[in-house]
Amino acid sequence: MAVTTTEPATEPTAARPSTVPSSRSGAAAVTAGIVLLVAVLAVVDITQGTAAVGPSEVLEALTGRADPDDASVVVASRLPRMTAGLLVGAVLGMAGAVLQAVSRNVLASPDTLAVNAGSYLALGLAGATGVSLPMLASSGIAFVGGLAAAAVVLGLSGLGTGTVRLVLAGTALMLGLHSMTQALLLLFPEQTKGLYEWNQGSIAQNGFDGVLQMLPIALVGLIGLLLTARRVDALALGDDAARGLGVPVRATRLTVVVLAALLSAAAVTLAGPIGFVGLCAPALVRPLARRFRGFSRSRTAMPAAALTGAALVLGSDVLLRALIADDRSVAVPTGVVTSLVGAVFLVAMALRVRDTAGAGAPDRLRIPSRAVFLATVAVLVVVLVGLVIAAVLVGDSKLLLGDVVNWAQGRAGRTVSFVLDTRVPRVLAALGAGAALALAGTLVQAVTRNPLAEPNVLGVTGGGALGAVILVTTVPAAGTWGVAGAAFAGSAVTAVLVFGLAARGGFRQNRLVLVGIGVASGTAALISLLIVLTDPFNANKALTWLSGSTYGRTMPDVVPVALALLVGIGVAVARRTELDLISLDEDTPRLLGLRLAPGRLGFLVLSVVLSATAVACAGTIGFVGLVAPHAARALVGRRHARVVPVAVLLGATLVCAADLLGRTVIAPAQLGAGLMTAVIGTPYFLYLLVRSRR
Amino acid sequence: MRRLLLTAAATTAAALTLAACGTTEPAADKTEKKASEAITLKDGKGTEVKLDGPATKVVATEWNVVESLVSLGVDPVGVADVKGYKTWDSAVPLKNEPKDIGTRGEPSMDTVASLAPDLIVATTDLTPAAVKQLREVAPVIEVQSADGAGQIDRMLANVDLIAKATGTTDKAKSLRDGFEAKVAEGKKALADAGMAGKGIAFADGYVASNQVSIRPYTATSLIGEVNEAVGLKNAWTVKGDEAYGLGATDVEGLTKLPGDTQFAYIGNDDDPSATPFTGELAKNPVWKSLPFVKAGDVHRLDDGIWMFGGPGSMEAYIDAVVGALTK
Repeated sequence: MAVTTTEPATEPTAARPSTVPSSRSGAAAVTAGIVLLVAVLAVVDITQGTAAVGPSEVLEALTGRADPDDASVVVASRLPRMTAGLLVGAVLGMAGAVLQAVSRNVLASPDTLAVNAGSYLALGLAGATGVSLPMLASSGIAFVGGLAAAAVVLGLSGLGTGTVRLVLAGTALMLGLHSMTQALLLLFPEQTKGLYEWNQGSIAQNGFDGVLQMLPIALVGLIGLLLTARRVDALALGDDAARGLGVPVRATRLTVVVLAALLSAAAVTLAGPIGFVGLCAPALVRPLARRFRGFSRSRTAMPAAALTGAALVLGSDVLLRALIADDRSVAVPTGVVTSLVGAVFLVAMALRVRDTAGAGAPDRLRIPSRAVFLATVAVLVVVLVGLVIAAVLVGDSKLLLGDVVNWAQGRAGRTVSFVLDTRVPRVLAALGAGAALALAGTLVQAVTRNPLAEPNVLGVTGGGALGAVILVTTVPAAGTWGVAGAAFAGSAVTAVLVFGLAARGGFRQNRLVLVGIGVASGTAALISLLIVLTDPFNANKALTWLSGSTYGRTMPDVVPVALALLVGIGVAVARRTELDLISLDEDTPRLLGLRLAPGRLGFLVLSVVLSATAVACAGTIGFVGLVAPHAARALVGRRHARVVPVAVLLGATLVCAADLLGRTVIAPAQLGAGLMTAVIGTPYFLYLLVRSRR
Repeated sequence: MRRLLLTAAATTAAALTLAACGTTEPAADKTEKKASEAITLKDGKGTEVKLDGPATKVVATEWNVVESLVSLGVDPVGVADVKGYKTWDSAVPLKNEPKDIGTRGEPSMDTVASLAPDLIVATTDLTPAAVKQLREVAPVIEVQSADGAGQIDRMLANVDLIAKATGTTDKAKSLRDGFEAKVAEGKKALADAGMAGKGIAFADGYVASNQVSIRPYTATSLIGEVNEAVGLKNAWTVKGDEAYGLGATDVEGLTKLPGDTQFAYIGNDDDPSATPFTGELAKNPVWKSLPFVKAGDVHRLDDGIWMFGGPGSMEAYIDAVVGALTK
């Protein structure tokens, strides 16, 4: 909860002492500085590219003295790219600023409200059908997708019912939509080849057409947002205060979100999802508001965020082209750089942010009786057993139980024994990984008292994947155990990094999640960078691994996760009371004489081990650690003696079902369990949100 | 409600269990035997592979080996992504209706096993874990897909390796002779037309949204080597990757090509995003200002020539490129 209860993005002017010196001229000076920076970056950007058109040729072209070939490069390639960078950056910066303002949440942005993910999936679907659409049509599709995602998030979380739900629903939907898009990339590798690189976001343009078509849309959005700026300021005072001032709270939120979706869709159509700009740009402007009163109003802060966004995008492009040789830089999308820059920035911001978050109010859940708990466990066990039987029997070749008996006795025929030899380890891997991730999620959520916290959000699984991909790309012949070891090393390093950075103040909530999200995005960007630079034509290999697949698992792969799970469940059951207390609030455990930091550290270490072994066993499966504990609490209440077994069973059930579906629905083609988990997990999670609203 | 759920779940599980009794395959009897001549060979990874005899039921996980098999007169029983093969490799069309074993990256173990093949031809691009499991089904030879140090030699050696495993070495010999004859024929035709030593830039490209990415086939790619073999010169200065010799560039990067370059590409009518040179680029001022575009030296070669294929595709490529340049 606490993630979102931070200070308002835009501070009310009344709260500022009027002693801030020469605020207006200061703001003007700062604005002029940013404009200058953007201008310099834009000029540098024009001189970079694959053609031999450097500064002098550009100058000649601009003064009309260049030879026509150089001029055409400048006019048809460099200028459109620069303009696209400006436009995309500005649009995303503004969308982020306004979304943060209306949701009063520093983590809100087109990325975290699933707007970008919705646009991207819509475009992916269009791409997979193999139909080549004109620019305007695809931007329409992107807008519909983005707006639909935003509508789902807002509709389910409820306007004005608090910001936690907003970000929770947004993050959940984003994960689900991204997984579906990844599935499309895997299923239609030829049709979506361009889409994969574009996925990372690139501002390169084929002529001015795209920019010119997007410009009106962007202008409508930008002007619309400026017109609502005053109302947005009122919202920053709180819903009640805003209502008191006569501001229509719901209508304002709705207008702002639609306009922000429009802006994001324009940016996505033009350049693909360029990550983090919408999050970073407003965050960079926010400290200015403290120093200069001029920036404390949305009307000035939003354009400042737009300018900062433009500087971020152009700066990333310039940096990329300056650091990497021309031909290679073509393959590296700008979005990777903004994500890396953004990740570092987010971590730094997290370390500096005043962690004022107190304990959030515990979810108001009814406390079910013991009978309900037992019935739930019984139903889950029965469902799981049924699933396991189905998972072993169903596949491309359907088997019967007699085959399994023959196999268990070592008497099965060649086909049956082969099928079961490969299928049983997969089923066990799915079970183990699901259970381990669910337990890890339960522990992390208890320790951080944060509904968003899970190994995936904290970057631990991302680190594991990065370790594995580093090994896969550098040592192509790496065996399964090598990959598992690398994944483990990656997870451990990331965990030490995240928890180490967040350790100040005893793992307070906001800092941990912010650092985690930053590191997670950083690892994702590094993985993309690594794939593009080392093995650009085998993206499928890494994608396959990253999508959380039980493909090619053998019995020994399951051993580590099984051991970790045994230890984990043992510890969780033995220390269930401590978990209950820690997850309650900050003060109760202290009053009872519990030392918080060491206990928390222990649980966190345990959850890292659990998620690292799960990653090594089945790749990055991103949804279970988030969904299973929530669902468990909704079903049987908050006590960990009950939550732990139910969450573990739910996790195993979820991943096992996902694996079964992934292997059979589109057989003989296969989908990773991670993708299917998200496809199943997203609707369930959203359903939970709806249900708990009543 | 919960009790109802419980009963339903239990009933379903019981029904499933009952319905699933029995076997699909009788218990093993271990009487199978083959008495024909055994074959031992070393595959592209240096792994020693033993076969009971020439393989006839063959499964292939990559298109280049599928093509080699078909050229050798061996119709594979299982092929990864059959639809994709038909789209991208019609130079050597499938003669049978092989079973689709799933994607090229993750072929379905179940399907492969159900085909009960006596040989699986994979490439070094398949993950070791998958190869390890496939070895449980049947002998696997891993073919090295590409080798920047000598693509044509690698391609012909791969054909020989597959031929050895399928008992079709005579056919492999005639394939090699046919390919060499085609190279010589193409070289002569180009020389007669005064095109010997001309610079050529072969590429393919992709469109996503408003962005065009172009993939140059450099001198160390298979197409690049074939170009040199028929007496053309590769015009690309872009560096390709180690294995496939493929580079990356954008429209701007084309300005670095010499003015008298012949530009050739292969697209696909079934895949509009793969044909930017006639579509998206037609209006692009940079593209239009390129000397070889102005001179009309841009050639679209026939669809369905797989750029990473075997001798069949490469012969089709030589026909196409010679035809385009001598027109």
